[in-house]
Amino acid sequence: MDVAASSEESWKTMFPSAVLSLCHMQVVACYRNLASCVGGCTDSLQLRDDLRQTREKAQKLAVSTCQHLTSHLRDKSLPQEQRRELELLWVAFSSSLELLHVDMCKVFSMGDIFCLANTTALVQTGLQGGGSEVAARALSLPDLNQAQTPADGLENQERSAMEKEISQIDHMIDDMEMKVNVLRWMVEPHGPQYAEPLSSTDSASLALLTVDEEQPGHQPLCQRSRIFVFLLLFAVVLVAATLSVCVVFFS
Amino acid sequence: MTVIFVLVLFSYSQIAFCAALIFQSVSKATCWHGDLCPLPAHHTQLISPYVPYMQAEKVLLEMQDPKKGVKSQPQRLVITTIPHAITVCALYSNSFFPMLSLARQLLNSCSGFLSSEARSFGSMLVALGYIYPLQDHKRLVIKPDASLYRFQTPYFWPTQQWPVEDTDYAIYLAKRNIRKKGILELHEQEQYNRLHKWMNHKWDFIVMQAKEQYRAAKERKKPDRVVFDCQERAYWVVHRPPVRTHTHTHTHTHTHTDSYQTCTTYTGCRLLPRVKSSVSIGALVKYCATYNSHDPFLSKCLPSNPWLTDDVTYWTLNMPNVEIPTKMRVERWTFSFGELLSDPRGRDDFRLFLKKEFSGENLAFWEGCEDLKWGTAVTMREKAEQIYKTFLARGAPRWINIDGKTMEITVSGLRHPHRYVLDAAQTHIYMLMKKVSKHTRSDAQLEQNARNRRPSLSPIILRQQELEQRAKMAASAPVDITQLCRFTTPVSHLAVYSGFTDSPSANASPSLPFVAPTPVCPSPISVALDSNSASERRAEAGEGEAERNPEARAPAGGNVLKSRMALSLRRLLKRGCSPSTMFASLSPKGQAAAGTSRIQPLCPDQPSQAPPRRTGNFFQIKVDIPPECRIYPIESEDEEEENRASSRGGVGAKEIICPWESLTPQNGTG
Repeated sequence: MDVAASSEESWKTMFPSAVLSLCHMQVVACYRNLASCVGGCTDSLQLRDDLRQTREKAQKLAVSTCQHLTSHLRDKSLPQEQRRELELLWVAFSSSLELLHVDMCKVFSMGDIFCLANTTALVQTGLQGGGSEVAARALSLPDLNQAQTPADGLENQERSAMEKEISQIDHMIDDMEMKVNVLRWMVEPHGPQYAEPLSSTDSASLALLTVDEEQPGHQPLCQRSRIFVFLLLFAVVLVAATLSVCVVFFS
Repeated sequence: MTVIFVLVLFSYSQIAFCAALIFQSVSKATCWHGDLCPLPAHHTQLISPYVPYMQAEKVLLEMQDPKKGVKSQPQRLVITTIPHAITVCALYSNSFFPMLSLARQLLNSCSGFLSSEARSFGSMLVALGYIYPLQDHKRLVIKPDASLYRFQTPYFWPTQQWPVEDTDYAIYLAKRNIRKKGILELHEQEQYNRLHKWMNHKWDFIVMQAKEQYRAAKERKKPDRVVFDCQERAYWVVHRPPVRTHTHTHTHTHTHTDSYQTCTTYTGCRLLPRVKSSVSIGALVKYCATYNSHDPFLSKCLPSNPWLTDDVTYWTLNMPNVEIPTKMRVERWTFSFGELLSDPRGRDDFRLFLKKEFSGENLAFWEGCEDLKWGTAVTMREKAEQIYKTFLARGAPRWINIDGKTMEITVSGLRHPHRYVLDAAQTHIYMLMKKVSKHTRSDAQLEQNARNRRPSLSPIILRQQELEQRAKMAASAPVDITQLCRFTTPVSHLAVYSGFTDSPSANASPSLPFVAPTPVCPSPISVALDSNSASERRAEAGEGEAERNPEARAPAGGNVLKSRMALSLRRLLKRGCSPSTMFASLSPKGQAAAGTSRIQPLCPDQPSQAPPRRTGNFFQIKVDIPPECRIYPIESEDEEEENRASSRGGVGAKEIICPWESLTPQNGTG
């Protein structure tokens, strides 16, 4: 009974923190994907808007995760095992927060250089599609606290808002360090060294890339296609020859 | 028939079609653009001035202009087509020329062919990571053929010099591993393992983030995914190149120097001795605590900090050859032997002390070794020879006593002298001197030092004086006893600080026979070993009484102690052995107890015994020694031993009171 109760309690403690932390990581990954398009040929108001929304979502998640984790870790009566798990989550969350911070700073400074008004200066990076799917993935995550505020900000407003948010994240990181003393080097991870390949391996893009990798410095275009064509030609020649022979024989 | 005929026709048309296909592919392989420019075969001169990133960026942005910029073409892959691939020709083509003139202005180079400049500039762009090759992505070079390149996305530009984080690299490698297991190359595998070791605490995060980034990227369409992968791969080739990649460009890429530096750092780090951080931090804390009060900026210095108040008294008082060292300075000498030696004033005093002990050659040898180590290479051989003749050779005038093994090493090394040939011997002598100083050092006296100020002399005169002194000392080897004794004669005006203060009259008593032979000072040879027993017994008597009545007779006791200690020190230095061998050598003479009792304080592991010794040292006040203190009945050794042993514990605590403190009111300002 006791064990069940305690495990249930621990589940109650751990579950929201774990979920929040995971969601935050997802949003940070999406944000990074979008941020790498800034300044490229797909940069547009839509992209900036997506970035802003993703960023806001990430911040909300960060705030709630921070509150959860801080409150639990400052609780002295926490059993040792739970504390270890929470510390693991803490390390993961603080790392993803740092990633978000770096990405936000990069987007902020790149926004300076690449003004959307001058579309000719955008770098031709070879991208074609927008990032709307990625943004949708980020924004589709469940919001545990508040509802989203759909705002369409102008660029200037966004810049000042972004500055504020960057400093907010800064403070959050500092606060976290002050309030809870987690010895990072003591934390032991659970997972394996190598991440398992996900079930649907991306064979298509793999093929595209390996094609590139297999041709160090040879002729630029697909060797394979040429071989294929040659074979085809040879087969056809063979057929034609046999047919001609037949014609000659039978006529 | 007709069927066969039709079939034949069909096959011929197929042949024609295939031929056309082949022809087209072949034509695409060669760069048949109208503006093909001939590229030189030789490697270009590198443009040596370091191009700031911002200016390269400007050029790059201009290149994006659809009308005036670089023409791009689609890259055809098996399944799809990706736009915005550029060839070298497009890069160097005429439309780029205006950009290149801009680049020329930026680079401030006034000569050079268009093509060579263009080539260097292009190579630099690739090496820095602004453009990446689509084929042969591992070598960041511009090739004069039809290979394709693409602009890197600004997120990965090196402009802002964002720190390249290991975390990101780990995530990237994990992502590649997710996509296909075992795809990592050898150096990447090594890096992955290393990162797994060093960032183990974050590893769950890294794996999870890699999965999330992979899933996020999958939301994109296939061509975009390929572009993303190419971009990231190119970024990491620039910032984490496989070690020992030979790039044709020698431009000032920090990545190239980085990898070389990291290599050397890692190999160096493996060889460094490692200490637990608690130990090293403890040592740091101890150092700070010890030296905190001696730092003129961290704590108040008397009379005032010259940097703050423009009053140079502090510097005047602490000059290298000042007569009377300040209290703080002398306190510093107590911190370690190294401090004593490094301070010229301290070294002078120590030299004097050693002269008293007739072991001045040790310090002279040490100084000679230092001279050799730090001197010019030209003079090295002569210096080494000089030192050998003076100190090491058999029958040398100032022969130092080092053990046989060290002597062997040194002599054999001297056949081919180099800077550090005397290191072993020097260390030996240093340790010896350290042991000596350990129990003669004390909370030295600092009396009315600030009051006895001398007018400051100009540095030139000081230097001259220093040189004269040195010459005098060099000339005075072997030790001139008469000169030595001149030092020992107390100088009246230096009431507060003197060397040996035994006035000849005080030493005339029979209890100190070893000073008896000469009225002024002992001759080392006469006292050597035969009269030891007598002198020691009497000296022990002196010591015993000193221990019984420490404060009242401290000076006298100090004298006696000092003399006893001098004897033992001399013996120690003459033999130049560790305390254990002293035990062995002394025990058969029936002076084991005496030997141990006296030698014990020399052992470093019995510091508690050391303080009682400190009162008797050569930094003494010259005071009138009441003659009655000298006469004591000579008791048996054993009794004294017991007394000594018993009183040691009790006396030890008391003896920390410095004798001069109780006598300061008696002293005038002198």
